[in-house]
Amino acid sequence: MGVPSRSDDHQWSQQHLSHYVEGELGPRARHRLDRHALGCVDCGRGIKAMRALVYAVQGLDGLAGVRAPATIFDRVRLATSGGSPSAQDA
Amino acid sequence: MAPLAGRRAPGPAGTEASLIARAQAGDVGAFERLSGAYADRLFMLLLRLLGDRGEAEDVAQEVMLRAWRGIGGFRGTSSYFTWLYRIAVNEANRALEKRGRRPPSVPIGPDELRLPGPATDDPSRQAEFNELRRALARALAELPPELRTAVVLRDVEGLSTQEAAEIAGVSQAAFKSRLHQARLRVRAAIGDEALVTSGG
Repeated sequence: MGVPSRSDDHQWSQQHLSHYVEGELGPRARHRLDRHALGCVDCGRGIKAMRALVYAVQGLDGLAGVRAPATIFDRVRLATSGGSPSAQDA
Repeated sequence: MAPLAGRRAPGPAGTEASLIARAQAGDVGAFERLSGAYADRLFMLLLRLLGDRGEAEDVAQEVMLRAWRGIGGFRGTSSYFTWLYRIAVNEANRALEKRGRRPPSVPIGPDELRLPGPATDDPSRQAEFNELRRALARALAELPPELRTAVVLRDVEGLSTQEAAEIAGVSQAAFKSRLHQARLRVRAAIGDEALVTSGG
């Protein structure tokens, strides 16, 4: 197998940015991307942007105070027509 | 990574395994205790996927009904949580198809997103950050359902790739591909400059 060209490296790196920021690349693949990104403004910026994106989306970790509606088991209760089992449990 | 704080199995008084066995034997009270432990989190998932509270409530009821009807076939090859979440994702996708794959009529708004705030009181920095939140909400709402599901399960819910792939009903490789595509689209919609300066 020949040595990948710079353009091969670039395309490959762009396709693996998401896996890179998740730490899912193996050591050789990570090294390949690291080495390419050192000399590639696009990929260096891509890594920063992808990290920022994942961080921002991970921050959407809750909808404040959201609770399931009390009606969530209504269809189950209707189907079983057994009254309100949760009321018995309470 | 988002914590799994909302994911709590039933307590010692009714272990999950015993509740499953009782529910499979037709004990609807056991089913409610079992599934009720995940109800809040499941509802939040539906809100994120559907972006509409009324629709999320309707689909949540349907999810529970399907789970009740299907629990006899639950074999424990996955966790109950994974099984229930998979029903929820399928039902959400069904609802979105019925809706004609339109974006959510009421996307989850920036006020409901809980991004960690910037470590500064600088008003201009705060404004940039709020703009990022709005852009993120718009971009997520505009993703096709299967891509939005990938981002929500992996990045927002904080599930492992394996668990998220199982819930989405695809291989891990296919799930990773969806997640990558989703992130690329959101990144393109927001722009690298805004991401790095506002969110970094």
